[in-house]
Amino acid sequence: MDENIAVKLDKVSKKYCKSLKRSMFYGIIDISRNILGLSSRPGKLRKNEFWAVKNVSFELKKGEVLGVIGPNGSGKTTLLKMLNGIFWPDKGKISINGRVGALIEVGAGFHPMLTGRENIYVNGAILNMSKDEINRKFAEIVKFADIGDFIDMPVKHYSSGMFVRLGFAIAVHCEPDILLIDEILAVGDSGFQSKCFNKIGELKQKGTTTVLVSHNMHMISVFSDRAIVLKNGRAEYFNNTNEGVREYTKFFISTKESAVEKILNGNDAIVFFNVKINKREFLPGESFQAALQFRSSVDYEEVEIDVGIYTNNDPNLYFQATNKAYGKKVSLLKGEHELQVTIKNIPVNNAMAKVAISIWQKNRTAKLFWWRIPVEFKGIDYSMGKNFLDVEYVFK
Amino acid sequence: MKKNNTEIKTYEPDNAIKQGYFSLFKVIFLELKQNRWLIYQLFKRDFLAIYKQSFIGILWAIIIPLISIGTFILLNRSGIFNLGRLDVPYPIFAVLGMATWQLFAAGLIAGSNSLVKAGSMIVKINFSKKSLVIASLGQSLISFLIQFFLAGILFLYYGYSPSAAILLFPILILPVLLLTLGCGFILSILNGIMRDIGNIIAIFMTFFMFLTPVLYSKPTSGILAHITRYNPLFYLVSVPRDLILTGHSAEWQGFWISVTISFFVFIFCLYVFHLAETRVTERI
Repeated sequence: MDENIAVKLDKVSKKYCKSLKRSMFYGIIDISRNILGLSSRPGKLRKNEFWAVKNVSFELKKGEVLGVIGPNGSGKTTLLKMLNGIFWPDKGKISINGRVGALIEVGAGFHPMLTGRENIYVNGAILNMSKDEINRKFAEIVKFADIGDFIDMPVKHYSSGMFVRLGFAIAVHCEPDILLIDEILAVGDSGFQSKCFNKIGELKQKGTTTVLVSHNMHMISVFSDRAIVLKNGRAEYFNNTNEGVREYTKFFISTKESAVEKILNGNDAIVFFNVKINKREFLPGESFQAALQFRSSVDYEEVEIDVGIYTNNDPNLYFQATNKAYGKKVSLLKGEHELQVTIKNIPVNNAMAKVAISIWQKNRTAKLFWWRIPVEFKGIDYSMGKNFLDVEYVFK
Repeated sequence: MKKNNTEIKTYEPDNAIKQGYFSLFKVIFLELKQNRWLIYQLFKRDFLAIYKQSFIGILWAIIIPLISIGTFILLNRSGIFNLGRLDVPYPIFAVLGMATWQLFAAGLIAGSNSLVKAGSMIVKINFSKKSLVIASLGQSLISFLIQFFLAGILFLYYGYSPSAAILLFPILILPVLLLTLGCGFILSILNGIMRDIGNIIAIFMTFFMFLTPVLYSKPTSGILAHITRYNPLFYLVSVPRDLILTGHSAEWQGFWISVTISFFVFIFCLYVFHLAETRVTERI
C-alpha cells in the first residue's frame, strides 16, 4: 500500500441476516468451519441474508475528509463499523494505515458508578491509549470537557451534556490517524460544538484522515473533500461534495411524475392550443415564464390566474398567489392571443418542484386552464437551505 | 510518538485461517502483551463498580462460601450427609477447597457473561475482547485471596501448621486458572450467540459443586466415587489442598493428567475465541 494512503477499501461487502435465530445458527456454522480450517464461504448469501454494504471501494489519502451520506438504513453505520474493525467484511478487503479513533456514541465505555477521573483512565485504555499517554493528557482532557470539580463525581450524576463532553474529550485526545465521526455534533451546546469543530480542524491540519457520516448536508459540504452517497448498501462516488449532496437530495423526489400534467386545456369556447415553457431547469434567482397561446370565441373579462410553486423539501405550499395580489386585471379577449405568465427571480435552492398555473373565469364560476409543470431548481455550491438569497460582502 | 503508526491492519473474510495456525498464536500473544494495562483497567472498573455501592463490599467474598461451609457442617452434625474421614479440622479443609472451587466456578460464570455484559461497548468500540474475558476473572481471584487469608486465620485458630507447600499455592492453582480461562473464553462466545448458555452454566455450577469432593472427602464407593475418578476438577482442587495440609498427595497421576487437559483446553479455547470474536460482535 502507498505510504500516503491511510484507508483503502477494495470491493468491500457485508451481509446481515434478517432472522435472529438463523443468525445464531449461521454464526455457529461459520465459527465451526473456521476452527476446522475451512473457509466460511462468506461471499455467498444464504436464506434470509442480504447485503447491507455491497462492493464499496475507495482510497483515502492522509488528511483527506470523506463525507458519507445516504438515507436511513443505507449502510453508513455498517461501513463505519467495518472501518473501525468492529465488524469484518464478508467480501473484499480493508486496509488501514494508522490508529483509528471513533467519535461514535462517545462515552460508550463509561461505567455510571465510576467517577469522571476513573472513567477517563478506563475509557482511555479501551481506546488504546497507554497509561503515560493518559497521564500526560489528563489535564487537557478535563479542560476540554470543561467539567471542573465534577471530575470526582460518579458519572451517573452527570448531565447528559457533561457526559458527552467528557466522552468526546477522551476520544479526540487519543490523536487518531484516522477519525470516524458518526452524527456526532447533534450533542452539546453551541459553545461546545464550535470547540469540537475547531478540534477536528486541528486534527485535519495534523494530517488526520476523517470519515464523516452525517445527515447535516451543510457539515458534509463544508468539511468533506469528497463524498460517497450510499443507497441500499451501494455507493456512488463524487469528487465534488456538492454533487454528492445534490444526488442525495434527489433520493427523496419521485422522478416518475416528471411529465407535465395537462389537466385542463380549455372548454367549448376557449382552447389553449400551445403552451411554451421557457425552461425546466433553473438556478436559484432565475425566472419562470409560460407563454399560453389560445383561441377564444368569447371575451373572458377579468379572469383569475393562480400560480403556485410546490417544492419537494417543503410539505407546505412554497408559494401561491393570484393576479389580484398584484392588483392586475387580466382579460382574455375573443380571437387568437398569447398570455404570458412570468414568475420572476425564484430563489428556490436545490429542490425539485412543480409550478402550477390555473385560470378561472370571473368569480371562479368555471376553470378554463390547469397545468402542473415539474421543474428542477439546481443547488448552489456551498449553500444549504430552501432558498438562495443574495448576500453582499462589503469590506471597509 | 504514536505507536502502531507504521503497522497496516487489514480486515478481510477468513483472515485468520489465511494467516496459518502458528502466526495466529503470535498475534494472540502480542495482543495480550499489548493489552496488559487495559486488562488491569477493566478489572479495576468491575471491581470498583461492584463494591462502590455496597456497605460491606469485599467481605461478601467470605460470606457466600461461609454459608456453603456452614450448610455442610450442619448436614454432617445432623447425620444427613457424611463428610467422610478427615485428619484435619473440617473448616480448614472446607475453606481451602472452597477457595479453589470458587476460583473456578465464579470465574467461569463471570467469564461466560463477560462479552454479553459489555455488549453495548463491544459493538461501538474496537478493543481487545480477550482482555475483557481475562479481566472478568479478576473478581474471583480477589475472592480467592480473601478466602486464602481466611484459611490462614483458621490455621492459627486451630493451631494446625500447614506444610511448606503453602508457599507454592499460587503456582498450584495455575492449572485451575488456565482451565477457567479456557472455558470462560469458549462459553463467552457461545453465550454471546445463544443466551441459553449463561442460564445453563449458573444452574450447572451448583450441581457440579456437589458432584465434586470440595466440601467432603473423596468418596470411596458408589456412583460418586466413579464420577470423581474422571473429574479433573477434583484433582485440581484436592491435590493442592492435600499438599498444604499434609505435604503429600495420593492423586499425582490424576493431577498431571488434569493439568495437561487444562493446558490444552486453554490453548484450544483461546484459539477458537480468536477466530470467533468478530463474528460474535455482530450477533451480541
